[in-house]
Amino acid sequence: MQMFINALATAAILAPAAVAFTLIFTLFRYANFAAGGFVTVGAFAAWTLNAPLGLPLWAGGVGAMGVCAGAVALSDRVVFRPLRGRSGGTLLLVSIALSFVIENIVRFCFGAQVKGFDLPLTGPLMFAGLRVPKETLAVIAISLVATLAVGALLTFTPIGRALRAVADNPSLANVRGLPVPGVEAFGVIVAGALFGLSGTLVGVDLAIDPNLNWAIAIPVIAAAIVGGLGSPLGAAIGAVVIGLAEELTAAHFTPTYKGAVGFVVIALVLLLRPQGLLGIAVDRK
Amino acid sequence: MDAYLVAILTIAGIYVILALALNLQFGLTGLVNFGVVGFFGLGAYASGIATESFHAPFVGGLAVAMATGAVAGGLLALLCLRLSGDFLAIVTLGFAETVRLIFNNEDWLTGGPKGLLIMTRPVLADFGRTANAWMVLGVVLAGVAVTLALMLRLAGTPYGRVLRAIREDELVPATLGKNVFVYRLQSFVIGSMLMAAAGSLYAHYVQTITPDNFTTPVAILVWMSVIVGGPGNMRGAVVGALAVVTIYEGSRFLTPWLGFLDAEQVSALRFIVIGTVLILVIRFRPEGLLPEPRHTPVMPATRRPALKG
Repeated sequence: MQMFINALATAAILAPAAVAFTLIFTLFRYANFAAGGFVTVGAFAAWTLNAPLGLPLWAGGVGAMGVCAGAVALSDRVVFRPLRGRSGGTLLLVSIALSFVIENIVRFCFGAQVKGFDLPLTGPLMFAGLRVPKETLAVIAISLVATLAVGALLTFTPIGRALRAVADNPSLANVRGLPVPGVEAFGVIVAGALFGLSGTLVGVDLAIDPNLNWAIAIPVIAAAIVGGLGSPLGAAIGAVVIGLAEELTAAHFTPTYKGAVGFVVIALVLLLRPQGLLGIAVDRK
Repeated sequence: MDAYLVAILTIAGIYVILALALNLQFGLTGLVNFGVVGFFGLGAYASGIATESFHAPFVGGLAVAMATGAVAGGLLALLCLRLSGDFLAIVTLGFAETVRLIFNNEDWLTGGPKGLLIMTRPVLADFGRTANAWMVLGVVLAGVAVTLALMLRLAGTPYGRVLRAIREDELVPATLGKNVFVYRLQSFVIGSMLMAAAGSLYAHYVQTITPDNFTTPVAILVWMSVIVGGPGNMRGAVVGALAVVTIYEGSRFLTPWLGFLDAEQVSALRFIVIGTVLILVIRFRPEGLLPEPRHTPVMPATRRPALKG
């Protein structure tokens, strides 16, 4: 049971970023491997607002979402938009290079030291023999609310419908009079904010470190693939699967191999169910 | 300075082999392999363990490394080559990270973070420091020559043309009765094998390998070599690797002018520049320094008159 809570905490960190990754994938049809870089930016933005500037953490989190939304929008504008229409492999390579640049910009600005938020120490809540740190509870609750909110936004609101229409077929959406560039920009900003949220949550639960990059990118992308690329709900469920798999590995084998879990889970999914848990088989070329 | 030049040339030779291998996978066949460091490291450790724990000679270590690289490449390829490129990218990336975790944690096999000490060197006998360095350079250059000859030959044959056709549009060669999957598999396995061979050369050159030798920056440098040199052009990969190593090593000499930055920042700055250049090249000169020669259909040669006598 304790393990289950830890798994949920991991899932809570991964879920927003996995949803964001899926969102970008459905909108523009490329796998943005810079996901880990953006999460790192979010973590450091929240830390800067929280520790040196002394703002409360919620303000740091909101700020991080803003910073990340700006960073993702800027990278889309400067790096990815001129390359629209190039092959998926090219965009993937560019996103890896971008991730590398972002990681080193963070390292340049903040050094290689591991940072932590300025949080008051609170005792864990105890119920039914379980120790649940309050921070963990908050991480899970915030992530759940955010993921559900984005899900509801995509499903029920006009802008969400527009977003799905553009993702499905941009030229048809254009013909039907949807402002495609505006809708795309909106999607990019939502994705960026989700990366920022993930970054803040990483900082609360783990540590803030420029080396987060790949350590976070692989499980995030794994979650999105497990859930079936293109399905935000699937990405959230995928995050829970990855979280559980990581905790099971830590409990039954050795914690040192937690980092390999994402890779193994992707391998298993590709072997057994290439379309992911909730995805329909997409022909991707 | 002389010793420094030999050292740089040796490293450059190893990067040339890595770039040629990646150029076979990505440049010719269009396979996005981000696990370059995984295969490189696997080769290095396999070779080191074979020579140190099992007292194999250097050639034995090299053979073990290539076999290991080929098997690992084959398994990964079987796993995800049927699906499209994005999966291969994430799986190879995950593979490289996982391999590094194994190097770090299986101390009994790899020496863990302290590293693996390798005494075996690819030299005939111990002729002293300078002579040994030259001999190692000779072995690496021989490796480069063999790899380059192999790749040039491969790129020029009908086999290479099929690989190019698969990169451009797999449907066309498939319609012509080529088994696209098998070609991709072979290309990936040969590339992985060569990367592992480069790893073996590297291991016996530096003599102490740690998991930190096999991190993402190495992969980025190799990718940059291929992209800058000209994907699909084997000579381009050589030029690209030499250019990248020159820029990377040369930027060390800028350090005195950057005294206001600490070492961490200088290192970060070098990587920022490298990553940015990579993005700019992809955007503005995707064909690289030496573009792949365009293949125009060759008219059948006019029949030569039969020789008499």
